[in-house]
Amino acid sequence: MKTSPPKLPLRFFRWFCHPRLLKYIEGDLIELYEERVKENGKRKADIKFLGDVLLLFRPGIIRPVEGYERLNSYGMYKSYFKIGWRNVIRNKSLFAINISGLAIGIATCLMIMMFVVDELSFDRYNTKADQIVRVVLKGRVNGEIIKEAVTAAPVAAALKNEFPEVREATRLRRVGTPKITYQNNTFRNSQVAFVDPNFFDVFTLPFIQGDVKTALLLPNSIVITKEQAEIYFGTEDPINKLLEFKDAKEQYKVTGVIKKVPANSHFHFDLFASMEGLAHSKEDKWLESNYFTYLVLSEGTDVNEFESKMPAIIKKYMGPQVAQLGMTFEKFQESGNQIGLFIQPLTDIHLFSDFAGASELEPGGDINSVYIFGAVALFMLLIACINFMNLSTAGATTRSKEVGVKKVLGSQKNQLVHQFLIESFISTAVAMILGVLIVTVSISIFNQLSGKELEAAFLLNPKVLAAIIGLGILISLLAGSYPAFYLSSIKPIAALKNKFSNGGKSKGIRSTLVVFQFVISATLMLAIIIVSQQMNFIQGKNIGYNRDQLIVLRESNLLGNNESAFRNQLLTDPRIESVTMSAFVPAGPTDDNMTSVWVGENKEEFRRTVIYGIDPSYIPTMGMQLITGRNFLEGPESENDKVIVNEALIKAFSLEGNPVGQTINQRTDNSGGYSSLTIVGVIKDFHFRSLHEPIAPLMMLNNPYGGLIIKTKATEMAELIESIQAKWQAFNVEEPFTYALLDELYNETYLAEQNMGTILKIFGLLTIFVACLGLFGLVTFTAEQRVKEIGIRKILGADVFQIVSILSKDLILLVAISFIIAFPLGFYLMDKWLQDFAYKIEIQWWVFIAAGVSTLLIALFTVSFKTVKAALANPVDSLRSE
Amino acid sequence: MKKYQLGEFEEVVMLTVGVLYKDAYGVSIKKEIESRLSRKVSVGALQTALKRLEDKGYLKSFDGEATEERAGRPKKYFQITALGKKAMEYSKSTRDELWNAIPKVAWNYKLVVG
Repeated sequence: MKTSPPKLPLRFFRWFCHPRLLKYIEGDLIELYEERVKENGKRKADIKFLGDVLLLFRPGIIRPVEGYERLNSYGMYKSYFKIGWRNVIRNKSLFAINISGLAIGIATCLMIMMFVVDELSFDRYNTKADQIVRVVLKGRVNGEIIKEAVTAAPVAAALKNEFPEVREATRLRRVGTPKITYQNNTFRNSQVAFVDPNFFDVFTLPFIQGDVKTALLLPNSIVITKEQAEIYFGTEDPINKLLEFKDAKEQYKVTGVIKKVPANSHFHFDLFASMEGLAHSKEDKWLESNYFTYLVLSEGTDVNEFESKMPAIIKKYMGPQVAQLGMTFEKFQESGNQIGLFIQPLTDIHLFSDFAGASELEPGGDINSVYIFGAVALFMLLIACINFMNLSTAGATTRSKEVGVKKVLGSQKNQLVHQFLIESFISTAVAMILGVLIVTVSISIFNQLSGKELEAAFLLNPKVLAAIIGLGILISLLAGSYPAFYLSSIKPIAALKNKFSNGGKSKGIRSTLVVFQFVISATLMLAIIIVSQQMNFIQGKNIGYNRDQLIVLRESNLLGNNESAFRNQLLTDPRIESVTMSAFVPAGPTDDNMTSVWVGENKEEFRRTVIYGIDPSYIPTMGMQLITGRNFLEGPESENDKVIVNEALIKAFSLEGNPVGQTINQRTDNSGGYSSLTIVGVIKDFHFRSLHEPIAPLMMLNNPYGGLIIKTKATEMAELIESIQAKWQAFNVEEPFTYALLDELYNETYLAEQNMGTILKIFGLLTIFVACLGLFGLVTFTAEQRVKEIGIRKILGADVFQIVSILSKDLILLVAISFIIAFPLGFYLMDKWLQDFAYKIEIQWWVFIAAGVSTLLIALFTVSFKTVKAALANPVDSLRSE
Repeated sequence: MKKYQLGEFEEVVMLTVGVLYKDAYGVSIKKEIESRLSRKVSVGALQTALKRLEDKGYLKSFDGEATEERAGRPKKYFQITALGKKAMEYSKSTRDELWNAIPKVAWNYKLVVG
């Protein structure tokens, strides 16, 4: 009778054993087992069998994990990697060119991708982000455009009552920079807002302590961010602590602690006080706009349709109040005036909102920079891919024999395609890793320039990682597919007979690609020159006042009654030329008042006008120029109904001719009250807002209050500031001494633009650099291919210059062709960009020459590395090989 | 650098394959070693050694007949290759050289002590 070995060990053995050895070893085992059964009986044989099986469980016998059946093309792929790697080793420098270009392209692309994703993510943290909208005010009153992100206090309630699709309406009102004390510590915080109790139902700002629903229901309650709570209360529990608002003399009880407002939000307040106690928030005044109004619309509400219902609301509520001013709403509209409420989706605020600086909560992003950066990233990547394609096809001559031999030995076309795609995958993978490294290293520089808080760790987010890998695959397909299909279609006979030439079709494509690259490069070069010109223009523009040597002490009003004494003390310092008292600074943080003004009896033709409250020293201290008339006089009361206006105001009211002595009226309340002012002087227009905007009408009243502005002669600024600080401290103010330099404030106004300019410059130059890398690679190949020709030419008497020009001629021609396309394109784009500035440069003809010559020089310089080397080579070396 | 790598057990296996000549397969090699050298050889150790030797090119194998006591599984016969022979010779000659290099005195000394 046949006995069979125990099932379980046998099955185990069959499972782990290398399939190639299985039948032999199993045979051995069974043979031994049979013998043992005969000799020692079944039990012992079973045990020994088990022992044998267990001892067989060792490396060499166990089946390999990765599979052993070479029925797939695993081995082939392995060989592709090997050949790919050998190719890399053989052409180290070309590989380096390829990889570094691609890595720079990828790094730029990733960085810009992070930037764009961040820009697009603004306010998306709100769970109802798609339903939240902001109500804004736009209109035209007496020819003046009104654009405010704020609306009147009763708008929110009115919209909620009128329309069922408004699920929730909430308001926010900004508070300047209140002084807040807790016990004996005083703080100043510019990030304080009054909000309606339902604010946190609309915006998703999670509470750490306190209750979302009830936190702000009572007047004088306040919600604070955790970070801010630590500053005020240290380790103490913030709940129920009392904060005192010094100026308003009100106490607020902390009822909630929230997490910090996310960086990608259009506001970043630290303190949210309840609006319940604010009397004016409940007033029914439709003509005063101070409140940011947000609505939650029910899902699926069409914003445009909703917006079309606004005029009726305006008519119903605002109409009667306009009538009170002495003009019916119909007449108001008939005389060309418009006023309307518009609906702005929350997610559009950051990128699309274009309200003037003072009206918007925070300076937003710019959709144009998102587009420009996106385009730069795309172009950069394209150029890097083109480099790859060009170098691969140009290198085809050296690979054509390999392809020929492979084809003769039976390689199919798709195998060769795979091979070249794999090589492109290798390169892309290396470039990808390098690119990510570059991002990690340089992200902090980019953050500094862009004012973002991007983190390289973002790249490790699984979704992003998947996107990066996707991008990598896309790049390798994009860059690798053309060379792959091109190389794999080489005819083996031609290749092996050495008849394979590198001209014809592929050369045409290569030329097109080079032209394309240099169109981009030259356009960028043009953009760089024009952007820097515009930036210099802004820097150097005569802004109408002298911003040098001015120290701004915005906080000096904190000295209260001692401010004049402090001022007089300052004036004793010989280094100080003059001191003026005013809260109005033409750059940086400033008071910003507007009022309605009209001339004579034309009450209906009023203009909104900026008011500056100044003293007689203001104009000389700021270095402003009076065109006609006089400055305010020191002392007499009679100066209080005098006014100094700017040229823009003269023009707006057509007062040219003899403005001095004319009367203008300023509205003082909404029931028709006004005060008359006599013009005593006209001041030359000066820029008090961004150069994006034209200069608006402005009038100056002899009404000094607020901070101090100091004009100095000092060269040692730090020393002077120290002495001012000492004087400040002598008055025992509880506040720390703070100051700013006006030229720094001015520069900060354009910091964002300057930084954008710098980023554009860096990326632009990098793009050109990458394009040049490609050019260099191409010339390397041409030089190598034509090495014999060069040798013969040299023997026949060609000199170095001739050879260099022969080698560079073709490429330079391509670069020149690219200018024909690049210049109109660059002109069009830059002209559009400049439209955004109220004060801008003209694009001059020489800019094109400069851009063209510099691009050409860079290209020539790049090419010369190789051409000169080739031209200097000894012809003997190149000719004796055959 | 070592020219040929041949471990002690591997050498024994090679020699046994030589001894068995045309009848060297798993079980026979195992039995031969066990009987000649009176040491226990596990199937696992033997098979690993055989595979390693084959990978090194010292042994080559061919399928043999499938018999009933092996439940229809073929035998895998091994043969020494030319390279294998060289490796064995190399191994032997190095041993011999070492043997010859031992001075006679060493043996004498040992005798005296013994």
